[in-house]
Amino acid sequence: MTSKNSFLASCRENHKRRVWVWIVAVLSQLLVYGGMMMIYLSRIRSYQAEGSYRTMAQFQAAMYQAAKDALAFSDNVYGVIIILAAVIGMQGFSYLYDRRKVDMYHSVPVSKDRRFAVVYLNGIIIYLAANLSGMILGAVIATAQGAVNMDVLANAGLAFVWHLFLFLAVYHMMILAVMLTGNRFVTVCVFLTFVLYDLCLQGQIGTLKRIFFETYSEYYLSTNPKLSVLYDCMIHIWDIKNAKDAAVAAAIAMPIVAKWILIAVMFLLLAYYAYKKRPSEAAGRAMAFPFTEPVFKVAVAIPVAFMVGGMVYDMSYQNEMLQVAGMLAGGLLFCAAAEVLFDFDIRSIFKHLPTSGIALVGVLAIFSVFKWDVFGYDSYIPAQNKIESIAISADGYYDNYWDEDRQYIEKNEFEKDNMFLTDASPVLKLAEAAQGADPEEMGDDRYVQILYRLKSGRQKARSIRVDYDDSGTEELLNQIFRTDAYKKGTFQGITDETVCKDVTRITYTNGPARTVIPAAEAARLREAWLKDMEQFDFTLVRHNRPCGSLSFEYKNYNQRQWFVYDSFTNTIAALQKLEAYYPMELDAADIESVTVTCYHNELAEQENAEDAEIEPRAVAETWDGGYTDYTVSETFYEEEQIAQILPHIYCTWIDAPWSRYKDLDDNYSVEVVFKRDTAYPYQRDSYYFGYSFYAEQVPEFVVEATAYTGE
Amino acid sequence: MIEIHNLTKQFEKIKAVDEVSVEIKEKTVFGLIGTNGAGKSTVLRMIAGVIKPDEGTVAVDNMPVYDNVEAKKRLFFIADEPYFFANANARAMERYYSGIYEAFDREEFYRYLEKFNLDKNRKIGTFSKGMKKQLALLLGICAHTKYILCDETFDGLDPVMRQGIKSIFAKEMEERGLTPVIASHNLRELEDICDHVGLLHKGGVLLSKDLEDMKCNIQKVQCVFCAVEDERKALNGLEVLKKEQRGSLCTITVRSTREEVEARFATVDTIFYEVLPLSLEEIFISETEVVGYDIKKLILG
Repeated sequence: MTSKNSFLASCRENHKRRVWVWIVAVLSQLLVYGGMMMIYLSRIRSYQAEGSYRTMAQFQAAMYQAAKDALAFSDNVYGVIIILAAVIGMQGFSYLYDRRKVDMYHSVPVSKDRRFAVVYLNGIIIYLAANLSGMILGAVIATAQGAVNMDVLANAGLAFVWHLFLFLAVYHMMILAVMLTGNRFVTVCVFLTFVLYDLCLQGQIGTLKRIFFETYSEYYLSTNPKLSVLYDCMIHIWDIKNAKDAAVAAAIAMPIVAKWILIAVMFLLLAYYAYKKRPSEAAGRAMAFPFTEPVFKVAVAIPVAFMVGGMVYDMSYQNEMLQVAGMLAGGLLFCAAAEVLFDFDIRSIFKHLPTSGIALVGVLAIFSVFKWDVFGYDSYIPAQNKIESIAISADGYYDNYWDEDRQYIEKNEFEKDNMFLTDASPVLKLAEAAQGADPEEMGDDRYVQILYRLKSGRQKARSIRVDYDDSGTEELLNQIFRTDAYKKGTFQGITDETVCKDVTRITYTNGPARTVIPAAEAARLREAWLKDMEQFDFTLVRHNRPCGSLSFEYKNYNQRQWFVYDSFTNTIAALQKLEAYYPMELDAADIESVTVTCYHNELAEQENAEDAEIEPRAVAETWDGGYTDYTVSETFYEEEQIAQILPHIYCTWIDAPWSRYKDLDDNYSVEVVFKRDTAYPYQRDSYYFGYSFYAEQVPEFVVEATAYTGE
Repeated sequence: MIEIHNLTKQFEKIKAVDEVSVEIKEKTVFGLIGTNGAGKSTVLRMIAGVIKPDEGTVAVDNMPVYDNVEAKKRLFFIADEPYFFANANARAMERYYSGIYEAFDREEFYRYLEKFNLDKNRKIGTFSKGMKKQLALLLGICAHTKYILCDETFDGLDPVMRQGIKSIFAKEMEERGLTPVIASHNLRELEDICDHVGLLHKGGVLLSKDLEDMKCNIQKVQCVFCAVEDERKALNGLEVLKKEQRGSLCTITVRSTREEVEARFATVDTIFYEVLPLSLEEIFISETEVVGYDIKKLILG
């Protein structure tokens, strides 16, 4: 039997004051888990009734997945847990808002420490009991319908841990908010500040960087909130949900949980300190500690000002003056609103103007830092001896990338994990050349993303604009492209030794023709391709277009492209040996027709230029709602004419990484239709194949046939 | 004993309590008198350990009280608006307090409830203001703490209930040495209860004295002297606080013992003289007028 004044007795007594919270917590969790489980499983059963699953195994897998979705990581649960944590935290310590309650609770012989411990622990007990009730109900429903296996249970266990620390982090934020304030409304404001502050602040910093820093890029490193549990939930849920098993999910979730633990501990310590220091007479006031009023006001006014400034900037079509005016107005309005909030008196609107001034000066100072790049963000180029390695991504190439579980990953992620250029010299020269270069004067200006990994352990990312047509740039890019480090970090076909495993099909295509190669040939083809890739550099891909591409296909619709150039003699020889190679050039005897369309871009541009000289209102008054169609198409059936066209066209259905746009004539498009009875192995599921003329290689008779006559 | 030394408390720009020093002796009923805003509640809340003084100390039986469980075990604080749990009845409140105060006498509590006609099962929310105060007092008495601090608790109680509570106080003081501390803005409310009175005004203590001492040392005499010389002779050497004359009838308030006054008046020729008892109100008027305050404006309205 417990003593009447024991800790447990105090806990029991406290629970009596929190009955409605118990009811809300338990009901919400039962509804969320139980409801979701029933809905998800019944959905799968209705799919089965419609015949969506071909085998029982497929149906069973769908049931397990549905149970996992309901019981483990779910978007629906987050919102409920965050609200629950806020409600439990606020209700537990809400006696601090009421002088009558404070008089009673603080006069009785119960130590402050015990009261805090009792209320705090009871909050966690309420959550745990409610959450476990909901999960048990969900598990019982799933078990009854045969939708539970070890993976489901393991994921549910992991989600339980994840949710618990999410709860704790938010719960502690709310407790600190209560300790710092004296009434519910202000508590909610301060709590929302804790939850959203980092998210908003980083968002505003990112916006300012995007507006003012030319070299800012989020390709490798983004301006992400570090202390926002809300952001963590939104961003990582997808990866965790789609992890192949609980162990992989745990590997993703645990570092985040560890961060949440740190956040939770930090907020708990602050909350406890504030609780000890909080004066009882703070009940009913806006802020419990007067010194927090200017801190809160200035700290929130700054991101609010930038948010308003950003909105004005967008609405005013990037007008910086209006942006500044919007920022100042937004900051000032928030300061006034904060003063009204602190005093609950509209007459306080102009109170404490010096702190409002500090907030506005802070806003202008931060704005100036970005506007005039005070810290030299755009001119940053690290010293060569400080660089550990570099990853670089030159605009112009994309492929599918995946991790060891064959789950798709982004190109930047692959590069970050696999590209480690140690010779920084050409990259730094490229970055130096980019500084001060005028994009207007560039022939083909492209973005190059750079990730500097410094010896200090820090990472810096920049985006530079370079001219692909410039011979100096070409030489520097050649130096980079020729390194093994670049090739390994760009082409997964080189890095991934398992790329030949589980291949279901290999095909080779030159555009229209497609031949199927036995999957067993994967390793041999890769070997030949790797040999050819030794000659890979920027000049090769810039001035040549692939003559075809190999495609390795895998289970789950994964696919990998291996481009093949005319100079890839080893690959072409291997393909020829397998009787799979077809050159890009076509034989006119196989072709039924060639349709050429000329867009007459020059006429459309001329029309636009003329319109630009007329007053917009006059254009609007005379505009008939459409544009003049200058396109002219002509179809050629004569074998002789077709034979004259074929050497000058290139199949645009083949990707040509880093190639020059201007090598093809974008004023014309060509459709090639094969004869039905030809032996040429064109893809019969396509009626025509898309081509383009090489620049300045359009035969004269085609130009004449597609001339615009105005009819 | 509760020792209050140089107690000061400021709320933002308002000094609610300004260097208050008072001693509250055991087994006495201490009355804390003052106008609204004089700082009575603040002083009581500091004695109860609810709020922390900016300066000065409060010691309950030589123990600092703020955040000190041992000191608080000896106190029961009844605020001007006592708080009861939402939807609670008297039984629920008893269960709460009996869990906190080890010496809480449950049997006595239910006995008193019956005596005061308070239904233990009725929701406190439906009680009248006076009934709530009674309940708070009964809870405080049955908690069996050494000190009970009552903030305006007696205001609004009907005379029968006041008498009932007064007799319980007397019994508890007799049996276990209870020391009630009662704050009120109404002097008349405390007259028949207090042994010692502290007068608070604008955050400071104007005076703090034993009522009996005050009563014993201030006498009101009504008399008709035979001659002016008799009057001069009678009052010679006495501290005259107030003198009123209607025709030949003099009403004189002097600081002295009854015996000394009677002895003095016996030696002079008077047609008539009588030493009259002073009401608390009259004592306060006399005492505060001496130090330049008009008590009627301060407390009596």
